[in-house]
Amino acid sequence: MSDLEEHRTPVSLNGLSEDDLRLQPLAKNPQTVERVIAVTFLFGTLFVAAFGASFWVNAKPWILGATMGAGLFLLGVGLVAWGKYLMPRGPFVEERHTLANSDADREAFAAAIVERGGSVVKRRKMLAGILGGGMGIFGIVALFPLLRSLGPLPKGTLFHTDWRKGSYAVDQTGRRVNVGDLAIGSIVTVFPEGTENSDRGQAVDQTVLIRISNQNFTTQKGRETWGPMGYVAYSKLCTHLGCPVGLYEQQLQLLVCPCHQSMFNVTNGAIPQFGPAPRPLPQLPLYIDSNGNIRAQADYDQPVGPGFFERHRVTGSKL
Amino acid sequence: MNSSLFRRVPLIVASGAFVAAPLLLFAGSANASNNILQTTRKNAGTPNSTIVVKNKSGTVIKYGNKYITYKAPSSKLDTLGQALFMENCASCHGSEADGVPANGTNGAYPDLVGLGPATITFWIDSGRMPAKNVAAIQARRGQPALTSTQAVAIAAWVNSLLPGYPDIPTPHLKNANVADGAALFALNCASCHTIEGDGDALAASTFSPSLRNIPAFQVVEAIRTGPGNMPRFTGNLSDQQVADITKYVTTEIQHPNNPGGFGLGGLGPVAEGFVGLLVGLGLLMLVCYWIGDRS
Repeated sequence: MSDLEEHRTPVSLNGLSEDDLRLQPLAKNPQTVERVIAVTFLFGTLFVAAFGASFWVNAKPWILGATMGAGLFLLGVGLVAWGKYLMPRGPFVEERHTLANSDADREAFAAAIVERGGSVVKRRKMLAGILGGGMGIFGIVALFPLLRSLGPLPKGTLFHTDWRKGSYAVDQTGRRVNVGDLAIGSIVTVFPEGTENSDRGQAVDQTVLIRISNQNFTTQKGRETWGPMGYVAYSKLCTHLGCPVGLYEQQLQLLVCPCHQSMFNVTNGAIPQFGPAPRPLPQLPLYIDSNGNIRAQADYDQPVGPGFFERHRVTGSKL
Repeated sequence: MNSSLFRRVPLIVASGAFVAAPLLLFAGSANASNNILQTTRKNAGTPNSTIVVKNKSGTVIKYGNKYITYKAPSSKLDTLGQALFMENCASCHGSEADGVPANGTNGAYPDLVGLGPATITFWIDSGRMPAKNVAAIQARRGQPALTSTQAVAIAAWVNSLLPGYPDIPTPHLKNANVADGAALFALNCASCHTIEGDGDALAASTFSPSLRNIPAFQVVEAIRTGPGNMPRFTGNLSDQQVADITKYVTTEIQHPNNPGGFGLGGLGPVAEGFVGLLVGLGLLMLVCYWIGDRS
């Protein structure tokens, strides 16, 4: 009892007698444990070999995973068991020696740098000056990414989309949407003709076209002509962070943003009725031409998508 | 006398035409507004299709193309359908199937007249109707209470009140393209049903249901009729495109190929990460404990 307690006290490895309990393995019967570990290693080796074979014959992924996993697991178990049961049980301690140099050493080193190195550099003033100039210029160049490489300035592109007076609304295949296409409760994502395959078209110009009635539909005062034959169109970019607002619930007449659950009511001009979106979705004014094609009266009357610093310059609104 | 009458014939015909023309136009527009599910696009779920079969009296009984054919329910089933409707549906939707408007307390029981046979059979075949809980915000999919023949019979009677479209579809998926279906699914369906087709929560206590275990013809019915809050996809998707989506749903969505062996229901990276952290890290901690443990 007291013997065992004594042998649990950590000591240094140096100067232990051969028969100290701390140098004995933990296993009561090391021969048996060795045999068990040997079997584990053997099976591990077999599984690793099986992994090689199944990799060679291009077996199914789950066979590859299972053989490799089992092989590495068994080898690992054996290795840990070896260390745990067959190695000297310990515990041992080894004091960590001090990492820092002595004060005298450090002072001598500093003095050597300042005296000898300083005099050497002072002797080559021209080289030091050119080097300093080069490093200084490099420091200024390091600021360039902030000024130039962040991409071209957006200029007016944030304020306008590619929708123009008379733009045809086309679906993702480039097919023009006709007034007879959609039944009430239908939705389709449309683009101004010619942009449906472009990055900018899909990023900025994407617009949801919904039919909510079979008569002209006014969503807000001043938009009496914008919803011919019940077709209304809103920008698909959420005014919060620009996610595609594509979830249309036709009974609730809501457009839902999948990212933060902003909800826009399509019957009253997409005013947000829940969620973090700060503004209604901009509405695209539509008309139907003599062939029945859905076309835009004009571009959106405000910038689409999330807010940005200069936005209020055109809208006059702080939002 | 005779000659003056003869002289007036053109005038009578012309004035008759003047009177009749607006009436004809009005009749035409009234007809068009009745079939709210019919679009003018060819091959998009209405008799404006490649194949149209009519019976002796000129009624369209079957239409479609090589991707989907739509079959009207036989009018012989009308009587049976009316009896079944009175027994199972009329208590809410009314004996004329014209519904009950919302009164602020009980909500609305929709007007079924003119909705077309596919709408009726979708709701009955998916087990959502007759409603198990009429106060529920959204009916849930379940075991159907009526057989598919009974559903067709009810659809036949409701359709006899005012014919509508689409009729009951049969998709021919061997002609469909599953890759195009995947792209169309991502664009039109995944926003609500998720890219794995498992469904998700929506606004105001509604949800988009899972797409697993749904027969192909019901996928077509749902796309074409827009049950509940789901939008209708009519002229913006052709029958070929609908068949493509249906093939993708009934193959890749319903029988996903999980290379890891266990898809965890395809609930997405959050759920998978949660399982990985809880199970994987838990096991690793147990192993660490065993390695570091001294008896």
